[in-house]
Amino acid sequence: METPTRRWRCLRNLVVLGACPPNVRSYNAMISGLWNSGERMKPLMMVLDMVNKGVDPDEITYNATRSDSNGSVVAPHNSSTTGKIVLTGKAHEQSFVNGVLKPYIDLSSPIPFTLHSFNSSSPTHLQHEDVETLVEKSDSVQLLKLLKKVPKRVLGVLSNLSLAIGEMGSVAALMALGTVIEQGETPDFYFEKYPEENPVFGFFTWRWVLGLGFDHMFSSPIFLGLLVLLAASLMACTYMTQIPLVKVARRWNYLNTSESIRKQEFNDSLPRASVRDLGVILMGAGYEVFLKGPSLYAFKGLAGRFAPIGVHLAMLLIMAGGTLSATGSFRGSVTVPQGLNFVMGDVLNPIGFLSTPTQDFNTEVHVNRFYMDYYDSGEVSQFHTDLSLFDLNGKEVTRKTISVNDPLRYGGITIYQTDWSISALQILRDDEGPFNLPMAPLKLSGDKKLFGTFLPVGNTDSPTVKGISMLARDLQSIVLYDQEGKFVGIRRPNSKLPIDINGMKIIILDAIGSTGLDLKTDPGVPIVYAGFGSLMLTTCISFLSHSQVWALQDGTTVVVGGKSNRAKIEFPEEMNRLLDRVPELAQISQTK
Amino acid sequence: MIFSTLEHILTHISFSIVSIVITIFFMTLFVHEIVGLYNSSERAMIVTLFCITGILVTRWIDSGHFPLSNLYESLMFLSWSFSIIHMVPKIRNHKKKNLFSAITAPSAIFTQGFVTSGLLTEMHQSTILVPALQSQWLMMHVSMMVLSYAALLCGSLLSVALLVITFRKNMEIFCQSDSLSFLIRPIFFDKIQYVNEKNNVLRNTCFLSVQNYHRYQLIQQLDRWSCRVISLGFLFLTIGILSGAVWANEAWGSYWNWDPKETWAFITWTIFAIYLHTRTNNNWGSKNSAILASTGFLIIWICYFGVNLLGIGLHSYGSFTLN
Repeated sequence: METPTRRWRCLRNLVVLGACPPNVRSYNAMISGLWNSGERMKPLMMVLDMVNKGVDPDEITYNATRSDSNGSVVAPHNSSTTGKIVLTGKAHEQSFVNGVLKPYIDLSSPIPFTLHSFNSSSPTHLQHEDVETLVEKSDSVQLLKLLKKVPKRVLGVLSNLSLAIGEMGSVAALMALGTVIEQGETPDFYFEKYPEENPVFGFFTWRWVLGLGFDHMFSSPIFLGLLVLLAASLMACTYMTQIPLVKVARRWNYLNTSESIRKQEFNDSLPRASVRDLGVILMGAGYEVFLKGPSLYAFKGLAGRFAPIGVHLAMLLIMAGGTLSATGSFRGSVTVPQGLNFVMGDVLNPIGFLSTPTQDFNTEVHVNRFYMDYYDSGEVSQFHTDLSLFDLNGKEVTRKTISVNDPLRYGGITIYQTDWSISALQILRDDEGPFNLPMAPLKLSGDKKLFGTFLPVGNTDSPTVKGISMLARDLQSIVLYDQEGKFVGIRRPNSKLPIDINGMKIIILDAIGSTGLDLKTDPGVPIVYAGFGSLMLTTCISFLSHSQVWALQDGTTVVVGGKSNRAKIEFPEEMNRLLDRVPELAQISQTK
Repeated sequence: MIFSTLEHILTHISFSIVSIVITIFFMTLFVHEIVGLYNSSERAMIVTLFCITGILVTRWIDSGHFPLSNLYESLMFLSWSFSIIHMVPKIRNHKKKNLFSAITAPSAIFTQGFVTSGLLTEMHQSTILVPALQSQWLMMHVSMMVLSYAALLCGSLLSVALLVITFRKNMEIFCQSDSLSFLIRPIFFDKIQYVNEKNNVLRNTCFLSVQNYHRYQLIQQLDRWSCRVISLGFLFLTIGILSGAVWANEAWGSYWNWDPKETWAFITWTIFAIYLHTRTNNNWGSKNSAILASTGFLIIWICYFGVNLLGIGLHSYGSFTLN
């Protein structure tokens, strides 16, 4: 196998000879390889080589998987990270900035190479700025490079965790504000509630509310814009951070020194034990075990590493579905008395610009019957509507009795039972009729409904006409009052029991209810539901922990180390339990 | 009638058992740890769990629907969730005394105490289900939500405890805060326990390094427990919100209505999502995450009670009836 050093030498010679154009990617790979194999000087020299060739120092990246023992490079906790080499002349300064690892090149210390390509007067005190200006001067091609860099820069900014957290916090704050400020009222309401003379908290007036669209928070440009930004961050983070992390996690890397194993969060050493026994026991505990010579690597719950990506994708799916719902839906509500019908297309109103009606909008809906179920105490337990759907040819295509929580679905249109009222009373007056008396809803405070109607008695043209009042709370019973407003009695519809009011015989034949239906088409629902399903699944999997175990046979001792990304409480206990079961090698085998 | 009597008896049994458990906890804290007593308290918690389960089951049989239709029942369920969460580490072989029981047991008793106290007697009887609630989703949605509230409350209380330990550097302040927190809020019982644990250690050792080491360990333990419990609660919350959305699509015709309760559940979700994200970055430190989780504690209560107290939105049932 070719060693990194050898390859480096070859490549460097090629570059110096001018045979090979400075390919940033191959350089980066070389630098990473050298850096990881423990080289310090050579990668730095390569960086300078690249700068000489006109490569922007910002594009030089490396992939560090080991920390430097002499402390000149600050390595992060994770065993691996991607970072950027930044040339600075400042020696011995903390170089871990904003989560980006910035190993410095100590140019003030003697380095055995010449910087003749730089036209700098004092190469030993080369500053970052100098390099930058040099690079800027070098060519006008820089502009093109800059343009190329823009998307990457944007991605980098968007994938910043602090920004994402800021966005989430702002979204949460705006949502909270949206529940505090009354939504969807008239401007007059806000003038009164948030007056300029007496602002809330000293500054918050109606100008804020109306100016920023906080009277309809959840569709205001600020809120939607933030959501879009959040979605962009989600995508950027998945692409820039999560996928590289998985690539790293998938690599099975053996740790070949007991020092590196002892650096793990959990570590232990088993005297007189065999790494093979440990492997068998780990396998029994559900680990994937890999053995190479004296080294062992085992892991479990790799799905726990992948799942957060799934969570992010599911969130994006839900957002996409929500957008489709907001732009491509139809909605409408209608109150239909029992026995009448309507055409779906007349009720449904488009919501957004993508809303396109379908053939099924011509379907006619006929309300066969509306009725209620009652508890023994007399309270309503459920509303039912028996619906028939007819196509253009008048053929019944489907029939279903819907109720709250049990809608009718046909051709992408859903019909919900949401409301009810009483449309008319059917009565016989002195065995004449039947007459239909329309019922009107009476305003009451609270949720309870009350409907009333009036049967005039005597001269109906006189301005002081009097009559019988009939009131109903539901379809069960009708309360009757006479001309003077005195209570007469209660009758149930269908009871056929006549009631006598001042010599007039009235029979209440039926109370005709009307059903309140909501109609909806929503092309976003399948996408949103797919997002819901995957979000639930991936959140559950995310709870699993990715646990890794390394072990090394060191003589008769087995050095064990391990770490877990989530189960930080369970993992050490599990490991202790497993290690207790590793058999101690018999004395005989040792003496052999 | 039999059911209500049975329920009454069970309520009293569980409440008195948990009171005894709490007393044992106090004795363990203030006097000395008696292993036998501690074990019996653990056994008592199991009995409590069975009693609360009994209460819920009798209500279920009595009313004929899943016992989560009003505030009394949902608080009872919350108390049950606390005791279930209390049991989870026991099932998973965490035999040794852990910090976690100190949160769950008092939480369970205070919830139950609040429910059974005279404040809410008028809503003890089970109510009828309004049409919108008659769905199989009720069981899934509400139980998941209450479970998640319980887990998240535990997790954020652990974080509050962490904060208290981190910020109280001085011994003297420690002792003062002991008596203070006694007076202020009984819910801070857990803190007192940690404080005392630490005090015991301080008494036994005079070396600063040992003291710091123990504190570091305690903080780390608290941090890990709270993170683990919050991720569990977050999982339940996600399932709860999503099942609620599916239910809303069945009942109201739209999977998301920006109803205040929904919105606050989403805010809670966002806050704990932020918390879990801060945990991925080691630079932020456990203290900042703990501050966030403690904010989450308040937000859960706003979501649970506050929204209903305002009496707005579609979730107005199943709470205080303001006539």
